[in-house]
Amino acid sequence: MARLNATFTNFVTVCVVAIHLVLLPALYFGVGYVIRKSHEDLFVHHARTFARVLADEFEVGAAFDSPAKTSDLLDLAVIHGEALYAELMNGDRSVRSALGSPDITEARRTDLSFATGGDDLYFVVLPIEHAGQSAELRVGFDERPTKERIQLALNRMLFLLAVYLGTAIAAAAYLSNRLSRPIRRLQDVSRSIASGNYAQALQVNTGIRELHDLATDLEAMRRELVGVNDRLRQQILEKEISESSRDELQKQLRHRQRLETVGTLAGGIAHEFNNVLVPIILFTEAAMQDLPRDSTSRGDLERVMTSARRARNVVQKILTFSHVLGDTALAPTDLRSVVGESITLFAALAPPSIEIRTEIDSDVPLVRADATLAGDVIVNLCTNAYQAMQGRNGVLTVGLKNSPPHVELSVTDTGHGMDQATVDRIFEPFFTTRPVGQGTGLGLAVVHGIVESFGAAIAVETRPGAGTTFRILFPIIKDDGRSGGTAPSN
Amino acid sequence: MRRILVIDDEPDVRDGIKRVLDRAGFSVRTVDNATDAMLELKRLAADVIITDIIMPKLNGVEAIDCIVREFPMVHIIAISGGGSFDVTGYQPAAITTTAYLAAAKRAGAHCILTKPFESRELIDAVEQVMGTGGA
Repeated sequence: MARLNATFTNFVTVCVVAIHLVLLPALYFGVGYVIRKSHEDLFVHHARTFARVLADEFEVGAAFDSPAKTSDLLDLAVIHGEALYAELMNGDRSVRSALGSPDITEARRTDLSFATGGDDLYFVVLPIEHAGQSAELRVGFDERPTKERIQLALNRMLFLLAVYLGTAIAAAAYLSNRLSRPIRRLQDVSRSIASGNYAQALQVNTGIRELHDLATDLEAMRRELVGVNDRLRQQILEKEISESSRDELQKQLRHRQRLETVGTLAGGIAHEFNNVLVPIILFTEAAMQDLPRDSTSRGDLERVMTSARRARNVVQKILTFSHVLGDTALAPTDLRSVVGESITLFAALAPPSIEIRTEIDSDVPLVRADATLAGDVIVNLCTNAYQAMQGRNGVLTVGLKNSPPHVELSVTDTGHGMDQATVDRIFEPFFTTRPVGQGTGLGLAVVHGIVESFGAAIAVETRPGAGTTFRILFPIIKDDGRSGGTAPSN
Repeated sequence: MRRILVIDDEPDVRDGIKRVLDRAGFSVRTVDNATDAMLELKRLAADVIITDIIMPKLNGVEAIDCIVREFPMVHIIAISGGGSFDVTGYQPAAITTTAYLAAAKRAGAHCILTKPFESRELIDAVEQVMGTGGA
């Protein structure tokens, strides 16, 4: 059955009906034949036996000679033998039971089988010898009761078969429906999955092993699919997040660069202003000393001095604001968050050829530092490391290790390394190995200055071609009132 | 009389320092760059050198380096008003007066002074280095 529109239930029902349409008539006719045959045989046997007993009675009994007794005996055949016709023919003399059907006029020869002769009678004709006389006993048995019984039995069988057929169809429909229910359930869920709803589990409540196994296998496939799908979603999400965080970082970077430019400009202006203020202050003070204490001009110059001091304060404020000058604000600092922020910032700058790794202890105590300056140190060292690896693939590792009494911050690159002559001079201000115009030569000097201002120490390990490691040792704050490693970030 | 050499590329700064220290009783000479300062020191020794950090040609930290090497007896005061060296190049925000002066101190300056300063601070610094530093 290749028709695609046949449902499982329909298919099974049609099959059951088709099978029964073939089997039931065969059964009906087969069993009907047996029933019919057995009834007929019984009837024939009864008729012949009855006729034989009657004939024997005539042959040996006293009834033969008496017409009245003969009639009585024949009546018995009608009353008890279901006969409609009973006659004793002795030559020309015929005695016939008056109880039989008067319509029957002709007696035939013995019927060979049931229901022959065109009427409802079964004739048995027996010769009788009695005291030298020959006679003939003719009994016509009524076939109708037997025929009715046969018909009744056949009708009952038909009824039972009909009931059976109905039950079989109902059972087939029920069973196929029950079979197809888990299949439909699987189908529904499969469609649901195909349409993108992966969350629904493929579970069927069935006792049929094949269906259960099929559901289990499909469920395993679904889980795999869901897993793959989830991983893809996760990857897409991560990509989106990383892109958005990259955008955010670049925004921060631009902001920071703008601030740095402002700071650099402010620094330049401050330098100029501070230089301008030096002669103003010094010459004013010199002029004041030449003037008598009560002179008006000395009072005027005093006001110049006051203004010059105000100007100095204004410059200080500008510098403090722009983070260029200002006393370094040493405070208990959590280097983990500083390292994290600096790496994030630097990672946005670095090309993909550089792999950035971090090895940060989970328990890092607080140290005295200025978070902004410490961040500058890290970015500066990372920039140096990146430049040492420029043009090639490399690994930049930033480590933060708790090794009492210090916290060790390390920046390691796999770059070209340095010879001893270079190492001896790297912390000198204005020393640079880069071509003119590419570096100020101040980076590591400033790093050194900042590190010293923290009370920390910096060391370098390097060999030509073997990369470079800068280590900064921060003294751990003896008693900061807090347990180490639980410093608040940010 | 104590001899002082002032190195600064700003004439007004040089002259202002000279005026104050002259009045305080020192013998003050001035030059506008570190190279001339080395020549001047070879010509006539000084007890104290007051040098700016950010200058064209030889900068103050390099100058201190040379002076410490060639004239170890001299006392050095580094002065700086901070500011940046180069607006276009890569500069961490931390290029501060503090950092410059820290570099100067490391190079061998005995005292550091942030610009602008008043006469009293300048004289105190000179007296301080002559009293303690040097040899």
